[in-house]
Amino acid sequence: MKKFLALALSVCLTAAVVIGCGSTPAPAPSQAASAASTPAAASAAGLQPADGPVELSLSWWGGDARHEATQKAVDAFTTKYPNITVKTNYGAWTGWEDTMSTALYAGTAQDVDQVNWNWIFNYDNDGKTFVDLNTLSDYIDLTQFNEAALAQCTVNGRLTAIPVAMTGRIFYWNQTTFDEAGIATPTTFDELLAAGETFKTKLGEEYYPLAMNQLDRMIFMVWALECEYGKDWVVDGKLNYSQAEIEDGLALISQLEEAHVIPTMEKVLGDGAESFDKNPKWMEGKYAGIFEWDSSATKMQAALNEGQEFVVGEFLTGFGDYKGGFTKVSLGFSIAESAEYPVESAMLINFLLNEEEGVKLMASERGIPLSKVALQICTDNDLLNPIVAEANGKVLAWCEYNLDPTFEDAKLKSTDGVYYDVMDGLSYGDYDLAEAASILIEGIEATLAAA
Amino acid sequence: MIGVKARNRISTFFKYFVLIVVGFIMVYPLLWMVSATFKSNNEIFSGIGLIPQNPTLDGYRNAMNDYGGDINLLRSMLNTYSYVIPKVIFTILSSAITAYGFGRFDFKGKRILFAVMLSTLFLPQVVLNVPQYLLYNTFGWVDSPWYLALIIPTLFAVDTYFVFMLVQFMRGIPKELDEAAQIDGCNTFQTLVKVIAPMLKPALVSCALFQFMWSSNDFMGPLLYVNTPAKYPAAIFVKLSMDADNGFAWNRVLAISLISIIPSLIVFFAAQNQFIEGISAGSVKG
Repeated sequence: MKKFLALALSVCLTAAVVIGCGSTPAPAPSQAASAASTPAAASAAGLQPADGPVELSLSWWGGDARHEATQKAVDAFTTKYPNITVKTNYGAWTGWEDTMSTALYAGTAQDVDQVNWNWIFNYDNDGKTFVDLNTLSDYIDLTQFNEAALAQCTVNGRLTAIPVAMTGRIFYWNQTTFDEAGIATPTTFDELLAAGETFKTKLGEEYYPLAMNQLDRMIFMVWALECEYGKDWVVDGKLNYSQAEIEDGLALISQLEEAHVIPTMEKVLGDGAESFDKNPKWMEGKYAGIFEWDSSATKMQAALNEGQEFVVGEFLTGFGDYKGGFTKVSLGFSIAESAEYPVESAMLINFLLNEEEGVKLMASERGIPLSKVALQICTDNDLLNPIVAEANGKVLAWCEYNLDPTFEDAKLKSTDGVYYDVMDGLSYGDYDLAEAASILIEGIEATLAAA
Repeated sequence: MIGVKARNRISTFFKYFVLIVVGFIMVYPLLWMVSATFKSNNEIFSGIGLIPQNPTLDGYRNAMNDYGGDINLLRSMLNTYSYVIPKVIFTILSSAITAYGFGRFDFKGKRILFAVMLSTLFLPQVVLNVPQYLLYNTFGWVDSPWYLALIIPTLFAVDTYFVFMLVQFMRGIPKELDEAAQIDGCNTFQTLVKVIAPMLKPALVSCALFQFMWSSNDFMGPLLYVNTPAKYPAAIFVKLSMDADNGFAWNRVLAISLISIIPSLIVFFAAQNQFIEGISAGSVKG
């Protein structure tokens, strides 16, 4: 009896260990795939909408306003197509990528997924995760999106996401502080340098016309170098700038610090805030400028204390003869290969991005729409936040260069990544220009080689 | 000369003084959290004072947003407890049985199995996510309305820590009690239920409380296995409004957090005495 019980207990335990650590070779996600393949094959062959009831699923991340707008748009879609029901799944950004990457790997992702731009490179290496949307062009009006944006979403000739909005970095100024200093917001490099001096003498040591953290500095430097040299940062998987050129760019950052244009990293980190929108010095107007994504305008504006005026700046001239800077797809919609009804999924995407009813409900909840018809509808109906629309317009009109998909790789961009190391080291004086440049080059080349 | 009485009084005063000061520092973040629910974003980030300058109730008002009827705060809390309670019960049952096996019986491979079990204690959850997800997916447990992927594993004593803790505690229970029970006619299972389990009570209460707290706070588990907003637990609901791009009102997030931890606090205070007894369990061999 004792022995039997002991045996039973040990079996129970072994089961516990197996389930606990999942050490059994995990069976392939065949169930989901085979369940999906039959009807999908049937409808994909002729690419016709299915007869009878269709159930789609849609996933996205975001905040309250986006959740609400998207739910309304989905309701409008199901009213228009009574045979289709849409199951929605949404959440906040935190942890969302982990969930989605697991689901995409297991083949259980929703049919239509809101995707971050780098996902189509990271999770679709074998081309088996997302549907090639070119095959569904009868149902999604691709002509509404500009070629360059579509090209950014094309991997190995397959269009795996529809770009919803483009975003780029631009200058924002606190007009109130500049008024106090008695100068206009800068439009050229020289004016920016002069503003540093004016701020210091007129307003005090604590005041700076511009504030940039490590990543801001990196993007700013690339922007300035592209203005000067007129070439993409990375071409064909190779860094396109030489050691000397990058030293030039880093010297510019140091120059800005010395001219009291930007606070040193020591000062910024000493403020103890995670980002500028949570930094009291930005709220009070002591930091009077930032270099931020156009889509972040509302957040930065809302962070200012009452009575401060927030304006979109011009791109500064005087850095070179070219219009530097890049735009990137801020997010897109993809259809998972596991989707049972790709045609209806495509119709849903088209409804949300190109059709008047959907566009009006979605408005600028996912950024200023890239789709031409959607932008027209939103402008006609006055649905856009004027500040964001102004910033986005300026970015799209100015920036001429492409973003390399590895630019935002975690090894470079994260807080323990290369950009932070280089910019901190330079600002604290741990690295000289040559050292900082070679560390940066080494880090970028390693990332490019791994991609 | 200071009398003994006066000296005692002074020393008591200083003891209490130090305790009160340190205690206040420890509880300050919690007090700050309560006060921050009445502050605006700018005030939250610009100071650490407790008194809000422009108190607002927006945080609490907006905490009741129901996302188009999909989910609201109350429902998310009910969702949480609808899987936390079964998890707690199953964990106690399975852990106690497994610990009984290890603590009271000799069988072939016991040492190796125990070592294997302990080694899983050091396995980070991140490593398990993908294989577990694939496994549960083949069982059809992902997005199950009954939270199967979260509950069923606890039937198999997967929480090594608890098993280990109970085994240690069981060492302190004299074997003579088992023998006495057997002489009185108990079989092995009855010995566990009638003799060992009552003696284990403080340790079992700690296991239950730990599991209760960990499961209520678990974010990644529900995020992976619950894909229907109507079924979201409070841990996910709290984050629903946190928009990384456009910013969000922190007072609301804090208000939701505050409301959602109330049940946990009540449970903790109710079981406090048992709990503290249980933590020190196994430290002194009796």
